[in-house]
Amino acid sequence: MSGVFVIARRELAGLFKAPFAWLLLLVVLVLNGMTFRAVLLQSGGNVSASLDAVMAGRFFLFWLLLLPPLLAMRLVAEETRTGTLEYLLTAPVSDASVVVGKFIAGLGYLSVMWASALVYAFAMARVGGHPDWPAVFGTYIGAVLLSSVFVALGILMGTLTGTPLLAAFLGVAACVIWMLLPYFGSLLADLVVPLFADSGEALASIRLKVDALLANMDAIRHFQRSFQRGVFDSSELVFFMSWTALFLFLATRSLEARRWRG
Amino acid sequence: MIEVAHLTRRFGGTAAVDDLTFTLEKGEVVGFLGPNGAGKTTTMRILTGYLPATRAEVLRVAGHDVLRESLAVRRRIGYLPESVPLYPELRVGEMLRFQGRLHGLDRAALKARVPAVLDRVGVLDRERQLVGKLSRGLRQRVGLAVALLPNPDVLILDEPTSGLDPLQRREVRALIKDLANEHTVLLSSHILGEVESIAARVIIIHRGRKVADGTQAEIVERLAGSFGGRGHVRFEAFVGDAEAAAELMRTLDGVARVLVGERVGIHHGFQVEGEGDLREDLGALALARGWAVRELSRVEPTLEELFTRLVTGGDEVAQPELAVGAAPAQPAAHARAADPVGGPFLAVDQPALLQAQGAPQGSGPSTSPRVAGPPSAAAAASAEGGRVIYSLNPFDRGAQRDLSQPVRVDAPPAAPVGDVPLPPPPGPAPGPATGPATGSPGAGDAPESAGGQA
Repeated sequence: MSGVFVIARRELAGLFKAPFAWLLLLVVLVLNGMTFRAVLLQSGGNVSASLDAVMAGRFFLFWLLLLPPLLAMRLVAEETRTGTLEYLLTAPVSDASVVVGKFIAGLGYLSVMWASALVYAFAMARVGGHPDWPAVFGTYIGAVLLSSVFVALGILMGTLTGTPLLAAFLGVAACVIWMLLPYFGSLLADLVVPLFADSGEALASIRLKVDALLANMDAIRHFQRSFQRGVFDSSELVFFMSWTALFLFLATRSLEARRWRG
Repeated sequence: MIEVAHLTRRFGGTAAVDDLTFTLEKGEVVGFLGPNGAGKTTTMRILTGYLPATRAEVLRVAGHDVLRESLAVRRRIGYLPESVPLYPELRVGEMLRFQGRLHGLDRAALKARVPAVLDRVGVLDRERQLVGKLSRGLRQRVGLAVALLPNPDVLILDEPTSGLDPLQRREVRALIKDLANEHTVLLSSHILGEVESIAARVIIIHRGRKVADGTQAEIVERLAGSFGGRGHVRFEAFVGDAEAAAELMRTLDGVARVLVGERVGIHHGFQVEGEGDLREDLGALALARGWAVRELSRVEPTLEELFTRLVTGGDEVAQPELAVGAAPAQPAAHARAADPVGGPFLAVDQPALLQAQGAPQGSGPSTSPRVAGPPSAAAAASAEGGRVIYSLNPFDRGAQRDLSQPVRVDAPPAAPVGDVPLPPPPGPAPGPATGPATGSPGAGDAPESAGGQA
């Protein structure tokens, strides 16, 4: 188990010792800062809305689709290319430790990035604004949880290929698909549900259940209806953590499969 | 320390390692030898647990099963892959500390161990340097330091000197030799000289199969018989009539064969084969006859030669020689003569050559028109009636081909390339006189003369 933290520490050090992570941080922080300022001015000083814009809004989701795959590209696919994966996989640590260590490092990096919004909140409080603190921290925790799913998914995609660019592309595609899962689900339901219904009423009732099911898969709604309001709901926690665990498990298996492929 | 029995690893349909069996005792240094793609790296990766084996009856390292107790095995192995994977963004000291932490070393142990290991490989002054900025040789040393850090029982080094310049190569070799006192070492290489100088025992693998295993002396001994040449004495002197001199040498005790080699200036070269060390007798003879001796030395077949023959000739020995791009072999002959390792004399597959000629040697070699050969190789060939083609093209017969030797073919080459002056079709009646002796001055020597004269 200690291997996890040894690897996570190395990965974080590796990230911050190369210009890649700093450049990414710079670009995201500058754009986030501009967004925050723009929303703040536009809404006439609405602190909560401005903070949401950088921690939960459309911009945030855009970064969420882009950053984890890029990180995973560095964490996994590049190691395959440079051969250091061979070093890690012959070190006395399990494959799961390697995957989880890299996951923790990636998530840690994103946590630092999202923490910039907390700085904005503190700054607002200092100049006389009144941030809704439970919502601010809730949103931050939610953002980290949501990121964890995407990082895990990015790492899973990174283990599939040794080509960093392809890994990043696959990661983005997978993240988009996972985020739009409810949408794809409802498209599928439109096609399939009528086959199981023999009357209009039955159709409506089945459709209702299916919609409820699909709504439960909607990560963004999970995020918005609890954390963003400052409500800490354990079932939401379970939702994000189980998806993360699933992707990490698959990534471990995929890494093992690499050995067999040679 | 390492036990492997019937190890097979397949990639798709092809077997990279095929039924490999060997053991390493504690403290042994074993060289894994084979051409690129022979399965060396795959075997090492399997031993380190990076790749699983497709099938293996026994696969144990340091007393632990590689598949079932992978972590225990990995804790006892220091592995240096060929690519020397190190994190370029870390400093040398950080890289080592990371390795130490992975192996569960605590802070105090790290503090003691890291400088010790760095000192061992001679890069103590580079502890603060970025790994990515190191030169190839230093990288290799740091890689070794990383492998050594947990003080493993077994060191597995995949081509530890590849990509190094000769000086660095020697340094790394000395380093590994030094390590051999404390660790069981399995190293791979496709360079023989390297293995020869480090490892007492050599395992030669080719196409995933083990073709030889033993100490170098054993391998040389065993293979020398089947691949020709147990070593010979090389003798160069101003003797006047070479044939007469050869005849004299044949009368010496223990001499089995005397081959007359090329003539360089006024000196004639001879290859004297027989039992024991014949140098003393030859020296005495030269003294008695007043020959001006230029060279008198013993030539042992090297592992290199045997390896080449083993690998290229193992399953392609029956391949007919094709000579394209013929050229007089003079420069090659000289180059080979200067080469201390292999004399220009070694007949590659003499039985086959003899058969191709259809001329069992019974008569004395005096019938061979040796000294007064025609100047051109092609002319010599046509005069002989055989088909003797000289070629400098090393691809004619793979590495097995001795470039200074005339190559005899019994069928015309399928597609001669370039304007090669091919000799005319072979004469109908090969007799004792159409021996292989071609005697073109300086263009290689006749591969044999009559045996069993002594």
